[in-house]
Amino acid sequence: MATAGGPPDRPRHGGADGAGADGARAVGAGADGGGHGAGSAPLAVELRGITKRFPGVVANRDIELRVRRGEVHAIVGENGAGKSTLMKTLYGMHRPDEGTVSVDGREVVFRSPADAIAAGIGMVHQHFMLADNFTVLENVVLGSEPTRGGRLDMVEARRRINDISARYSLGLEPDALVEDLGVGDRQRVEIAKVLYRGARTLILDEPTAVLVPQEVDDLFRNLAELKREGLTVIFISHKLDEVRRVADSITVIRRGTTVGTADPRTTTVRQLAELMVGSQLPTPATRESTVRDTVVLRLAGVTVHDAAGRSLVDGVDLTVREGEVVGIAGVEGNGQAELVDAIMGLRSLAAGTLTLGSDDVSAWSTRARREAGVGLIPEDRHRQGMLLEAPLWENRILGHQTRPPAVKGPFIDRRGARSDTERIMREYDVRAPGPDTLAVALSGGNQQKLIVGREMSAHPRLLLAAHPTRGVDVGAQAVIWELLKDARAEGLGIVLVSADLDELIGLSDTLHVMLRGRLVATVDPGRVTPEELGGYMTGARTAAGAA
Amino acid sequence: MSPASPGGMGAVRRAGLALLGPVLALVVALVISGIVIAAIGEDPFTALQVITNLGETPAAQVQAIVVILNRAVPLFLAGLAVSVAFRMGLFNIGVEGQYRLATIMAAAAGAAVSLPAPLHVLFIIVVAMVVGALWAGIVAVLKVTRGVSEVISSIMLNFVALGLAGYLLTGPLRGSAEGDGIVTTSEIPESGRFPDLTGVLTGLGLAEPRSELFGFLVVAVVVGVIVSVVLARTRFGFDLRATGLSPSAATASGVDTRRMVISTMLLSGAVAGLIGLPDLLGADYEYGTEFTAGLGFLGIAVALLGRNSPLGIALAALLFAVLDRAAPLLQFEDIPASVVTIIQGTIVLAVVVANEIARRLARRSAEREGARATGAPPEGGGGSGPGTPPTPDVGPDGGHRIHTGVPGTPEGARP
Repeated sequence: MATAGGPPDRPRHGGADGAGADGARAVGAGADGGGHGAGSAPLAVELRGITKRFPGVVANRDIELRVRRGEVHAIVGENGAGKSTLMKTLYGMHRPDEGTVSVDGREVVFRSPADAIAAGIGMVHQHFMLADNFTVLENVVLGSEPTRGGRLDMVEARRRINDISARYSLGLEPDALVEDLGVGDRQRVEIAKVLYRGARTLILDEPTAVLVPQEVDDLFRNLAELKREGLTVIFISHKLDEVRRVADSITVIRRGTTVGTADPRTTTVRQLAELMVGSQLPTPATRESTVRDTVVLRLAGVTVHDAAGRSLVDGVDLTVREGEVVGIAGVEGNGQAELVDAIMGLRSLAAGTLTLGSDDVSAWSTRARREAGVGLIPEDRHRQGMLLEAPLWENRILGHQTRPPAVKGPFIDRRGARSDTERIMREYDVRAPGPDTLAVALSGGNQQKLIVGREMSAHPRLLLAAHPTRGVDVGAQAVIWELLKDARAEGLGIVLVSADLDELIGLSDTLHVMLRGRLVATVDPGRVTPEELGGYMTGARTAAGAA
Repeated sequence: MSPASPGGMGAVRRAGLALLGPVLALVVALVISGIVIAAIGEDPFTALQVITNLGETPAAQVQAIVVILNRAVPLFLAGLAVSVAFRMGLFNIGVEGQYRLATIMAAAAGAAVSLPAPLHVLFIIVVAMVVGALWAGIVAVLKVTRGVSEVISSIMLNFVALGLAGYLLTGPLRGSAEGDGIVTTSEIPESGRFPDLTGVLTGLGLAEPRSELFGFLVVAVVVGVIVSVVLARTRFGFDLRATGLSPSAATASGVDTRRMVISTMLLSGAVAGLIGLPDLLGADYEYGTEFTAGLGFLGIAVALLGRNSPLGIALAALLFAVLDRAAPLLQFEDIPASVVTIIQGTIVLAVVVANEIARRLARRSAEREGARATGAPPEGGGGSGPGTPPTPDVGPDGGHRIHTGVPGTPEGARP
């Protein structure tokens, strides 16, 4: 059973670490017994020794997963821990480099999702894939329409959908237009789609991320119905309280590998959190504060609305000083991305002011803010940080189109850009053939190092770092952490948004927790435990006097 | 490892891949066209011979070259106008309307004023560029303020432009006498005409052609050089290309996408405004119902074939001009002139497919190159020779790209 502690190549230290490892072992042992007990009946899904590599990154390593027929099995782990890579393997979206997948005791090889569906595995995606202007009925049959003599047989389709709806208490109205449905209803349509295709095992990817609490309760009732009918549910989440409510057993993934299994009845949230994040802090504590008095960035009552006028960021007050790392913790989708966009000038403020140094920059363009010394390590480097089909030297210019060494007046300084790219590649250990290589050719870690090097080279006053080590290998992660710490020591103010609690606790001088667009708590990163932090993040714990 | 050799290899390979698409498309198009010609009972090789034969006598050959160049100049400008927008990811389908409206306005304005020669020509050129830019600007404003797709609005504005040009021609800008078979604007006086380049040809010792070589060729070359410098070497061009490659990354880098949409469309429209001028200032001197039509749509094909690079567009324009020249000649061999349209159409279809294949090959080869340089995962199987298969169906950093249904390497199938 996979009860190995942390990856061996990462530094381990501190008393808390030992406690965490003990917890993992204890928990793992408890679930092992259960596993053997069910050993006689074939498992619904079994993964053995699954390893999946991408160039430069091992996304999954020695994954062990045993899911019994008729249970709700939760897979928990931080963002970037490798959950989605694992699920793509199970759903046939890519093939593992090593290891085997078995369904109902038979070993299978999935070449595509169609193979997985044929084997009775269905996926309910986090982002719904429904046609808004179709009815529920049309959406469910879309792609596997029943025909009679070459014509659509909607009568049969309707009969089957009503049957599914009644059997699993989904409460579907076949003729309702999907665009009129709420989020919870849409999710049930997605579930019905998967059931309609004959799935016996359903994978739900972060199903509660888009739901309000009442809808979560409804979903859990639906899951109970599915279970009662003998179906198997694989439930991916990082919300520990929900997982404990709904799951029959839990597998924990950390840094690409399964680190243990747990029985939700006997495991506390604390033990789960320790398993999930490990207890290793990213670095030996270089805790002496470099925080200076000068304020780099001040947010007062910053509010951002979505198109419908709902608050995504709600009255945030925040101060970043020179040499200070201000961490923003929170479950993804609670307004962190929008906050970064607002500071960067990519979203306009509905209310509040943004002050950079002594200038009110609330109405400044993104370019003006960049010129005033704001750097960005974006959350999604492919979307916001790079031109994948452009050479590295052009990527060096990106975001710095108005400043030397890459530009001279209105012209691009090709030679300057090339030589500065070479310098960045040397100093920041970007491994690539040369500055003319296309960015797409680099591994995630090398792309990220180029971005960090590029942003640092402009000597910013303020750096917005959103998930700076997401999807990069361990070596690059350590390099990026070192770079951030060095920059902090030189007086750079940093806003660090991350889902990696280790990273947040290890790097931050001040740590805020963001929930539903608000900063709900401020904690001391020197004293807070991941469990406490998790409590604030999910709203289970509220700030007492803090914030 | 020596840093120079892999880089050099990469550059050669990249250039090869850039040429591969159009050449492949051309071959495929010729084969398909050949089949079509054979199917209607004619000899495809006769057709090919007609297309490639420039004439028997030196005088005929020079004449043929002049005809080809005179046709290539407006095609080149049209391709350039389309490509400027296309480099930013905007489909300016409205080049047709932009140049037609620009040409009639320029023709009317040129006939209405009297200025000394160089100023008069310059004035006409400026009017044409401004009208073209403004008409294209409507598309940009609609897109920026109301989110209207530029494809839809520019197509619609073509109809409006043609209708408007028709109204202006028969109404306020009519210059020809009432009751004439061909309706035209008033003729532009001598001072507003562009001097021809025939003197250059005879100066080179060539036979004097029957037609005059458009002097506007010089303007087209200058515009081509300017556009290519602006795109490749300036900050504005960088912002434009960055927006085309990734609008989200460009926005995050500080590019004001809305402003870029407007300035790019203005630029594209200004170049489009020039399309009609070679004919207007070099041969016709008036805009009328018989004025060359369809250049805007051909420009889309030329831009595609030329892969949006000014040099490529010049070659594509020459190729299309060669084909166009052959259209009437084919009829002497009892081959319908529409064979040329078929060839041009199949080239465009083939080039779209071939460009995509070439793009994927280039990307694949870049990924392979990168993987080699970074010392790919040690499990990569030696990773030395160029024959080493890279993991083909994954993104370079952990499956951000989702490929469904792409078969992987067969050895991965059996554990």
